[in-house]
Amino acid sequence: MSAPVAAPAPRIRLRGLRKRYGPRVALAGIDLEIEGAGIVGVVGPDGAGKTTLLRCLVGLLEVEADEASVLGVDLRGDVRALKARVGYVPQVFGLQRELSVAENLAFTARLHRLDAGVWRRRAAELLERTGLTAFSARPAGALSGGMKQKLAISNALLTEPEMLVLDEPTAGVDVVARGEIWELLEERSRTMLILISTSYVDEAEACERLVYLDAGRVVAFGPPAELRAGVPLELYRAWAENPRAAARATRALSFVSNARATGRFVRVEVARAGSPGVARVLEGLRSLPDDAVQIAEPAAIDMESTLLDLARRDPAGPEAAR
Amino acid sequence: MADPIILARGLSKRFGDFTAVDAIDLEVERGVIFAFLGANGSGKSTTIRMLIGLLTPSAGTIVLDGIDVGLHPRQVRERIGYMGQKVSLYAGLTLRQNVEFYAGLYGIEAGDLERRWGAVRERFDLAQAEHERPENLPAGVRQRAGLALSTLHAPRVLFLDEPTAGVDVESRGLFWELIQDASDEGVTVFVTTHFLEEADYCDRVAFIDAGRLIADSTPEGLRARYSSGYRIEASLAAGSRERVLAELGRAGFVAEAQGDQLVARIPALDSEGLRRLSLVLGPEAAASVRIEQASMNDVFRRLIREGAALAAPAAGAAT
Repeated sequence: MSAPVAAPAPRIRLRGLRKRYGPRVALAGIDLEIEGAGIVGVVGPDGAGKTTLLRCLVGLLEVEADEASVLGVDLRGDVRALKARVGYVPQVFGLQRELSVAENLAFTARLHRLDAGVWRRRAAELLERTGLTAFSARPAGALSGGMKQKLAISNALLTEPEMLVLDEPTAGVDVVARGEIWELLEERSRTMLILISTSYVDEAEACERLVYLDAGRVVAFGPPAELRAGVPLELYRAWAENPRAAARATRALSFVSNARATGRFVRVEVARAGSPGVARVLEGLRSLPDDAVQIAEPAAIDMESTLLDLARRDPAGPEAAR
Repeated sequence: MADPIILARGLSKRFGDFTAVDAIDLEVERGVIFAFLGANGSGKSTTIRMLIGLLTPSAGTIVLDGIDVGLHPRQVRERIGYMGQKVSLYAGLTLRQNVEFYAGLYGIEAGDLERRWGAVRERFDLAQAEHERPENLPAGVRQRAGLALSTLHAPRVLFLDEPTAGVDVESRGLFWELIQDASDEGVTVFVTTHFLEEADYCDRVAFIDAGRLIADSTPEGLRARYSSGYRIEASLAAGSRERVLAELGRAGFVAEAQGDQLVARIPALDSEGLRRLSLVLGPEAAASVRIEQASMNDVFRRLIREGAALAAPAAGAAT
């Protein structure tokens, strides 16, 4: 029998997914349908349920749900079939510290009973791709943070899974290694669904779709541009000789909802509903006492404002999840 | 620098044959927010722990507020506040009980404590959390409480080791406002982070990579050195074109007219540059200004690449 032609069935389909740890509700009813390939970011405040959701999706936790399927496997039943098809990089270091880079890959290969010829070829490619070839004899515990994560991702990719799930794989990793990890993920995401949780604003921006979680619920789901467009704020930059003093002065303006000094300018947020209009906001900023602000300009809503706005919404509120 | 509050010379720390910190020099001016940046494992925490006398350096000297840290570690402790990566609040005790415990450690008397805690509680928005146990508080509130405790004895220098790690974007922003407030009141803040965009909240930035300092500058200094700088666009009234271009040229901008648009570039937009720009453009053109700058992530990406190139055996002559 030939393989079925890729049907557009969602790879992830969750309705009313709930997870409790004793009395604590970690996931309070997740509705989510994810189709196709690409990088899907899972973001939200600390304790929102990101790690729990990812662990549910790879079949590590028992769940309650009205519907919960990943790659066609029901999460409420026997999930052994799923584990071979999903790669998972947990937040805590999941490698064997004493084993070398090459031995870690061999260990994973044996665990999944991969054919020696197959896994050796894949391992060589992955090491080459991640720049780890020269370090293949080094114990995993002695690698730099960025290299450890590249090895963990290589390990997860060794089985050529259909889906990859990564829990904050770049936390604390230097910016160059972060960029390299993202290049690898972007390459793979053309044919694979990748779910990644992150606390970096630039990484959230780089995702094709974002799931914003808060208090165990999906507050928003969509492409970054769509989420940005839904932010009921106007953003301005007020360039100032002394941005901290300017931020204080700016907060005194009645239409300003938030002002924070960063570098040479103040990020000024104005609620769209209470805005007197761009021209008057700019005028108001420029006419602050003591020439506090030299130049004011409107700015496009960025991912930072988007995440801040989502954080302020009531997770159980009517307009939260669609 | 006339009178640095932190002065470290040739500071090194070796663990066996692993060099965690390799002969670094640091000078921190009073009252500034000094960002100490680097990836996990680069030597940030080791450095901070040496600076506060928790870890003995393998080599080098540290003088903090005029006191030799190696010789008089106890005297140093009264002058500093410290908040580690894991906020050191005792689980099982309420926040209020934690406060009383800390006050006891620092010899703060009851009346004084009420006054100080009252002010800190207000500013850090902790009234609701006062009678909660830290383990029941969200991470962001716990971080705020940790910072509140570390400032209770009015230290001259605050050492914050990754205070924003594991905290969401909203709490991170609020946290930086508190740090800036502390700095505005004259407290020196030495803070580590791996969120590079947070460098822009600071006055001075040092970057450590594999135990070596590869940058020590202002955020704008780094932008000037490791990015293509600022690009400014504004609409240009026909009559003012020659004058604006000439005046911007004199102020250090590379400016040209593209139709009725002005395009100006400058490596760093310091206070003087900003003032000149706003004066030259005048109120009408100033309304149409758009300013682009490189992100700190881009700046550091280039810094690390070039820093690595400098550290590698050079093929040509060093500059």
